[in-house]
Amino acid sequence: MELLPLFSWAETSFLGYIGKTYGGVYATFGQSVHLMALAVLGGSVLVTDLRLLGVIMKDVPSTVVADQAHKWFKISLVAIMATGIFMAAAVAERMYYSDFFWAKMSALLVGIIFVFAIKRPLLKGNHNEIQPWLLKLVAVASITIWFSVAATGRWIGFS
Amino acid sequence: MINELLVQFAEWLYATGGSRAIEESYYMYNWIETTHVLTVMLSLGMLVFIDLRMLGLAMPGVSATNIADRLNIPMMVGFGIMFITGLLLFYAKPTYTINSIWFRVKMVLLLVAFVNAIMFHKRMKASVGSWEHERKAPRHLQISAALSLGLWAGVVTTGRLIAYDWYHCYKELSPFMNWAAGCVAD
Repeated sequence: MELLPLFSWAETSFLGYIGKTYGGVYATFGQSVHLMALAVLGGSVLVTDLRLLGVIMKDVPSTVVADQAHKWFKISLVAIMATGIFMAAAVAERMYYSDFFWAKMSALLVGIIFVFAIKRPLLKGNHNEIQPWLLKLVAVASITIWFSVAATGRWIGFS
Repeated sequence: MINELLVQFAEWLYATGGSRAIEESYYMYNWIETTHVLTVMLSLGMLVFIDLRMLGLAMPGVSATNIADRLNIPMMVGFGIMFITGLLLFYAKPTYTINSIWFRVKMVLLLVAFVNAIMFHKRMKASVGSWEHERKAPRHLQISAALSLGLWAGVVTTGRLIAYDWYHCYKELSPFMNWAAGCVAD
């Protein structure tokens, strides 16, 4: 499916117009809020994964940590996607031709599938009934995936 | 006077080989900046959860002081990495950065956030035991936590805006902005 027309349309859309015309709005409501959401998302991922790895909060049940962090993960993911769409709309055609943009989208898709199809269903259960090596493997995979999402996102700006 | 000294210092830094090497290296500079940005996930990520706990918005069933103590170490590791990479970023572009109004506001916000964090920890230690299993922290700690979130949102925003030169000295500026950016006559 040819996606270029969709990207061209996004650049001429209302969001694209706002982002293109008002640099201050793009930088603050787009980039800065995107970064703040990244901090919350990263925090929720790391709090859970470092707990699963036995690095932090060993005296707090990992089920409690994972459940609470997941709420904030969902909130921050929505904020990241909303601000991401806003930013991408302003420079949509450049994004279409950016390898790092597609790398980030791929990593993000992998991250979302990983969280909602693997990690969350697994961690919803009793962690004592899960092999410790599996919990650690999930934590390492999670950290790797989400740092890849963030790193490829940053490199969009350098490409 | 202070601005003259700062600009001279920045020009001296700019002339050093290390500064030129970092700025001129596409991969070195960008990886330092990437590390600086990615570390918000560790530093601010932990800080956000401590503050949210104080406000009763995250892990209300877990001891608040326990969370603050346990997340403090990874948070400080994150801030350590951010500080080092931040210094390197400044070192790479000292003359541009020293006259960035956003950088100056960011430094002020960082200072206020630092003072707020010290006061928060002192107050938390002083009142420990009486409230730590309650859903929310006492009002004064909640205010500190909310202030912390606001200040760090400001630090992130001004940090991101450093890349924009809307109010830089080589632009046409009002006398106030000229002063705020620390512009020095050639």
